[in-house]
Amino acid sequence: MTKSIVVEGLGRRFGDFVAVRDVSFHVQKGEIFGYLGANGAGKSTTIRMLSGLLAPSSGHARVAGHDISKAPDKVKASIGYMSQKFSLYLDLTVRENLEFFGGIYGRWGRALDRRVEETLESIGMRELASTSTAALPGGLRQRLALGSALFHQPPIVFLDEPTAGVDPASRREFWKLIRGISSAGTTVFVTTHYMDEAEYCARIGLMVAGTLVALDTPAALKKQWVPGRILRLEGQGLVRALPAVRGLGGVVEAQSFGNGVHVRFDPARTGDEAIVASVRALPAVAVHSVEAVEANLEDVFLAAADAKAEKAIRGAA
Amino acid sequence: MSEASLPRTEPSAALPRTKSRRRTSSLRRIFAIARKESLHVQRDPQALYLALGMPIMLLLLFGYGVSFDMDELPVVLVDEDATPESRALSDAVFASGELRIAGTARSADAAHQIFADRDANAVLVLPRGLSESIARGEPVEVQLLVDGVEANSAAQLQGKAEAAVRAASLSLGATPAMAMSPPTETRLSTWFNPEERSQLFLVPGLAAYILAIVAVLLTALTVSREWDRSSIQQLFVTPVRTWEIVMGKLLPYFTLGVIAELIVFVTGAWVFDVPMRGDPIVLGLASLLFLLGMLGQGMLISIVAKNQMVATQMATMVSMLPSMLLSGFMFPIENMPLPLQVISNVVPARYFIHTLRGVLLRGNGFAEVWFDLLMLGGFAFVMFTIATRRFKRELA
Ligand SMILES: Nc1ncnc2c1ncn2[C@@H]1O[C@H](COP(=O)(O)OP(=O)(O)OP(=O)(O)O)[C@@H](O)[C@H]1O
Ligand SMILES: [Mg+2]
Repeated sequence: MTKSIVVEGLGRRFGDFVAVRDVSFHVQKGEIFGYLGANGAGKSTTIRMLSGLLAPSSGHARVAGHDISKAPDKVKASIGYMSQKFSLYLDLTVRENLEFFGGIYGRWGRALDRRVEETLESIGMRELASTSTAALPGGLRQRLALGSALFHQPPIVFLDEPTAGVDPASRREFWKLIRGISSAGTTVFVTTHYMDEAEYCARIGLMVAGTLVALDTPAALKKQWVPGRILRLEGQGLVRALPAVRGLGGVVEAQSFGNGVHVRFDPARTGDEAIVASVRALPAVAVHSVEAVEANLEDVFLAAADAKAEKAIRGAA
Repeated sequence: MSEASLPRTEPSAALPRTKSRRRTSSLRRIFAIARKESLHVQRDPQALYLALGMPIMLLLLFGYGVSFDMDELPVVLVDEDATPESRALSDAVFASGELRIAGTARSADAAHQIFADRDANAVLVLPRGLSESIARGEPVEVQLLVDGVEANSAAQLQGKAEAAVRAASLSLGATPAMAMSPPTETRLSTWFNPEERSQLFLVPGLAAYILAIVAVLLTALTVSREWDRSSIQQLFVTPVRTWEIVMGKLLPYFTLGVIAELIVFVTGAWVFDVPMRGDPIVLGLASLLFLLGMLGQGMLISIVAKNQMVATQMATMVSMLPSMLLSGFMFPIENMPLPLQVISNVVPARYFIHTLRGVLLRGNGFAEVWFDLLMLGGFAFVMFTIATRRFKRELA
């Protein structure tokens, strides 16, 4: 497998403030690489450095084989970029926006027309070609932005929170597109803070306050950061009984989740039946349903953020 | 929705090898930006109205409505002599219809009050002993007090009053001598604008002013608009170069500027009979250089300002006002306080107006205006250089 993006010790400071600190990772060709983090974690700053928009203060990175500091122009020619804030032209029609970006990438005449049609088709907006961009709802605007980013068929595309503020149905549609371009070999670097979307990524990097605290496949991250088995219990009096549940033998953690509670325990020390029986035995508690559930990335994220200080110490050693 | 047709993994074709291919794609990028920019103008035609309507409106407004040629300039008469001779002189002065008696006063001191009340712009004083001087054949000293606040009409008034008094005293067989306050200065306009028509003088100034408004204000908004919409990020992640953005954005506004300029000249020639005594090529060259300078200045403002509000204010401050006030359009540069005279040296409208007046009214050619052209060209060059440099720096 070839590496599309190689990042080594990348950092960026704004004055005294360190927005990104000593980040290293690499992304395989055709991979969907997710970058997860809270507001201000440094996701956009990383993307802006990798896109040649912002010079790093330290470290190196190669994107599509080009050094971002030495050959930012070559990097720019090999990537598509969708910025966090919608930045196409609202007073232009869908087609005019695409034609503009085509022209910027040197397309011309019939080749340009053909590519515009192809792109319209691929983002499913052929009927909307003459619509003013201002009249599009959020989900469609994002799709158009994706189409513009992919117009020149770059081998790598950076998507900075492409689905922020978009309704769930449109988000699913959007991710279908992303999986499509990835399976055809385009490398996708995507940031998000929707945990459900992160599940679609082949690998995830977790950013906490400028530091990359964890990086792996979603399954491996869960195994590492949220070990154990999780049961979802629904019933009565469960939330009030949480402190008591946490005290049961073998229970690692217990939290309320929606209209039930999630109980995580060490399977080496106890089992499903023992847990459920112990909970039922608690006073004023009724359990109506029991279900084994997967750890979610939210849990991973919280665990990783908590462990950040500890990791920093280990990393220094 | 077909997912398969979007992606393509072939290596990007955006990196041309040869020089000529590089030049071609550079042209394409410039063209793409120019096209997008003209779409913006079409979608928001305010700019278009500004560019094409403003010249006509301003010309007519200044040409007719605010014409500095008041047919009957109001003058207060102070006849200290009060003799038949002095009355004959004043009758003769006002007989031409160019000057009108706005009132009479007993002494010149009262004139200050008159100026303060804005009843008249000038006071004509026929001093005591005037009839005796005429009888003795001595020079007659007539005093004209002009309200210096109205600098522009003051100059005209001086000219007209001077001419009227001279004609009147000649008809009375007297030798006139004028004591003026402020002292008369000989203005070139009087030489080359024998009919004293201020439109002739005004049109070149207006041409510069209009071009300054159109070019600077329109371009001042183009880049700042991209900052406001944050589309600049999207632009800068493409292989487009800053100078290509600058060029592409200027093309449509350059076209608009040329049209606005033509409107001014054609209207000037047609409606106000502004002559064309000199070389049209010199005129064209000066217009071109001035236009480029103004576009460059607008672009620089746009790049530095980063938002449309600030850009508009900056354009007004550093370009429109100086083009109107410090260029010699409204007020003669020689009459300005020294610091303003010094500043006027870096106001390109000054050189442009000088060239226009020279070429249109006096028939000047290259020999007379080369320095103006040099200054205009230098200004444009400096603006573009700084604009392109700043653009690069502002982003990172
Ligand atoms: N140009 C800048 N000057 C100063 N500080 C900056 C600049 N750009 C970003 N920062 C700071 O760096 C930090 C990281 O910003 P960044 O935009 O990378 O976060 P993010 O992870 O993308 O967050 P979000 O989810 O809000 O988009 C923030 O605290 C931000 O305020
Ligand atoms: Mg961000």
